[in-house]
Amino acid sequence: METRPEITKKHKKMHLSRYRNRWGWLLISPAVSGLTLWVALPLLVSLVASLCDWDMVGPPQYIGLNNYKMMFTVDPSFWQAVGVTAYYTFAGVPVQIIVAFVTALLLNTNVRGIRFFRTLYYLPSILPIAVNSVLWLWLFNPHFGLLNIILEWFGFPPQRWVFGSETVIPSFILMSLWSVGSTVIIFLAGLQGIPRELLEAVEIDGGSGWHRFRHIILPLMTPIIFYTVVIGFITGVQTFTQPFMMTGGGPANASLFYVLHLYRQAFQFSHMGYACAMAWFLFVVTMIISGVIFKSSSLWVFYEGEVKK
Amino acid sequence: MTGGVSFAKDVTLTYVYWGSPNEKIAIENALADFETAHPGIRVRPMYLSADFVGIEFSAKMKALAQANVLPDLGYFREEDVGDWYAAGRILDLARYVERDGMDKDYLPQVWMRLDDKIVGSYTAAECQVLFYNKDVLREAGVPEPPTDYRNAWTWDEFVAYAREIVRDRNGRKPGEPGFDPNRIVRYGIGMDLWWAMLFPPLWSNGGDLVSRDGTEFLLDKPESIEVIQKIADLIHVHHVMPYADPSSAAAAAMPAPAIMLANGQLGFFITGQWELLDLAKMDFSLGVGALPIWKKPAQMYISGASVIFQSTPHPEEAWELHKWMMTPEKTLDLYTSGLWMPTKVSWYTNPTDLSKWIDNPVHPKGYKEAVVDSMEIARVVYSAAVKNFARIWGEAIAPELDKVWLGKATAEEAVKAARERVTQLDLLQGAWW
Repeated sequence: METRPEITKKHKKMHLSRYRNRWGWLLISPAVSGLTLWVALPLLVSLVASLCDWDMVGPPQYIGLNNYKMMFTVDPSFWQAVGVTAYYTFAGVPVQIIVAFVTALLLNTNVRGIRFFRTLYYLPSILPIAVNSVLWLWLFNPHFGLLNIILEWFGFPPQRWVFGSETVIPSFILMSLWSVGSTVIIFLAGLQGIPRELLEAVEIDGGSGWHRFRHIILPLMTPIIFYTVVIGFITGVQTFTQPFMMTGGGPANASLFYVLHLYRQAFQFSHMGYACAMAWFLFVVTMIISGVIFKSSSLWVFYEGEVKK
Repeated sequence: MTGGVSFAKDVTLTYVYWGSPNEKIAIENALADFETAHPGIRVRPMYLSADFVGIEFSAKMKALAQANVLPDLGYFREEDVGDWYAAGRILDLARYVERDGMDKDYLPQVWMRLDDKIVGSYTAAECQVLFYNKDVLREAGVPEPPTDYRNAWTWDEFVAYAREIVRDRNGRKPGEPGFDPNRIVRYGIGMDLWWAMLFPPLWSNGGDLVSRDGTEFLLDKPESIEVIQKIADLIHVHHVMPYADPSSAAAAAMPAPAIMLANGQLGFFITGQWELLDLAKMDFSLGVGALPIWKKPAQMYISGASVIFQSTPHPEEAWELHKWMMTPEKTLDLYTSGLWMPTKVSWYTNPTDLSKWIDNPVHPKGYKEAVVDSMEIARVVYSAAVKNFARIWGEAIAPELDKVWLGKATAEEAVKAARERVTQLDLLQGAWW
């Protein structure tokens, strides 16, 4: 009689945990099966495909590491694509972050109609890249594009913009500045999170606006800058839509971005295996560089409450 | 209509196609008419929106092939036909064509023949056309070009007239003192520079990109180099042509030249016949002339392909629909609007049939002599036949030619570099047919 309640309790407990387990599995199953089916499995397939010659019409043929060999030793466009992508990313990301940061600083002031301006600067970033691309194709038009008309007002010669081999990447960077709105929002949120008392402390100590920026705002913003650098880098190396829609990789391969080259190999030239190998190389490189950025963060990213040795 | 062939009941065919909104409607109507005429056969249209270079279409079809859910028949990228036939994905139409005596009724270029097999047919007929703005020519004192394709202007005459049209901001012509090539307000010639557009001038001069059997690189022949250099000279020496689209950017398809022509900022525009669809809708006096001649008249035949897929369970019904779609009456709008030219012989030679598609305000005077008649000498472009053609162009030739159009390399330097790329990537692998 005395032991019974214990047994029942134990039984109940087991039953309950099994019951909970079952529900747990059931509830996470959409996410887990989605991840397995649409992410893990394709990843695995692409790794296998990268070892094959596969035109996607017939069956794949195993060729070992030939695709990787082709990539590093034969394909002249491969290194061109690496160079173009690196140029755009390493020149573009710093410019994008500086512009977004300065814009956020300006939008963090207390002037009349600030909400209007915040909306205005955010608006372009809600346009899909494809729409932006068509729009900018017209702005860049060498013959009746708005940009050349503006240059003309100031007496500068007309430019070829995305249609010139030297100007195409700077043009893409210029275009990317138009849609930094979402980064601006992140910076703005960060700026508004800076404790007022710290800023007031600088004022009481007789510090200038520069001091406030250099010793309070900038250090407190480094975690956010760090985040935008990582995201900006990953977005940069994956740039595809702009060159796909606007230049087709030209002129003279000057905008042959890595992912565009990969896409053309996969779907235009029917080299799915080679494209998969390219994708894996991109993955590894992205991992390594992201790792380096993370490692470097201890040198320059400051977290509130952290004590520097 | 059915010629003794009986069809199964309750058959559903899937017809894949792309095209502009207008083309979509015309095709849908033609498919609906087919259903009415063939009770028991239903047609499910599978519309894939148009993309100029066709990569997205290709990607979609490959995915369908891998999943074994290909449509029964429809449009297909012509450069993929060889690969797909070799992989056993495309139905040989030879016995149907022969059985129904289709051969003599259609232009000889229409059938995509691989040895004794017919792996598809070209959906329409297209060629290169010289369009011009009559008002611009009159204003510049330039005569309208001849319409007889056999007695057209020579290239040099054409360039000389084009120079007369060009004006800078101060009204000066090229060669006059003080002419400012950076401030040109009216140009003489616009020309698309992607691969098909280079064929007629190259062939006219006895040059080529590669040999038709896909074994030889011919762009470095002196005849080819001359054509490339002289086209580049339009931009950098004569200042008659705006630098618009690089060869590699056909995807962007910047509409500049067509709009410039309509605006009176351009005299001549050499482009595809299909541009007539858009040009005819713009409000200006459009003229059509014969293509300038280098050594002998030349014309190309180009079009997307139509195929029946091997996997169809209903080849007989699919062939019936294939034939239906090859009949110009069924999709008449596509011809009268200026988008397509027909594939049927009588629509070129029989005045009654001819008037069905060119007697309208869309097709300018002289169209018959300059365009329709020039199809007599039209050679089929070999983008479908030569293996690796998309790569030979896209990976080896186009990036190098861009440098010539940019004025950064001579034609000779560029074609040499293009040959090196072709060799390095081992792209010359012969032809499918």
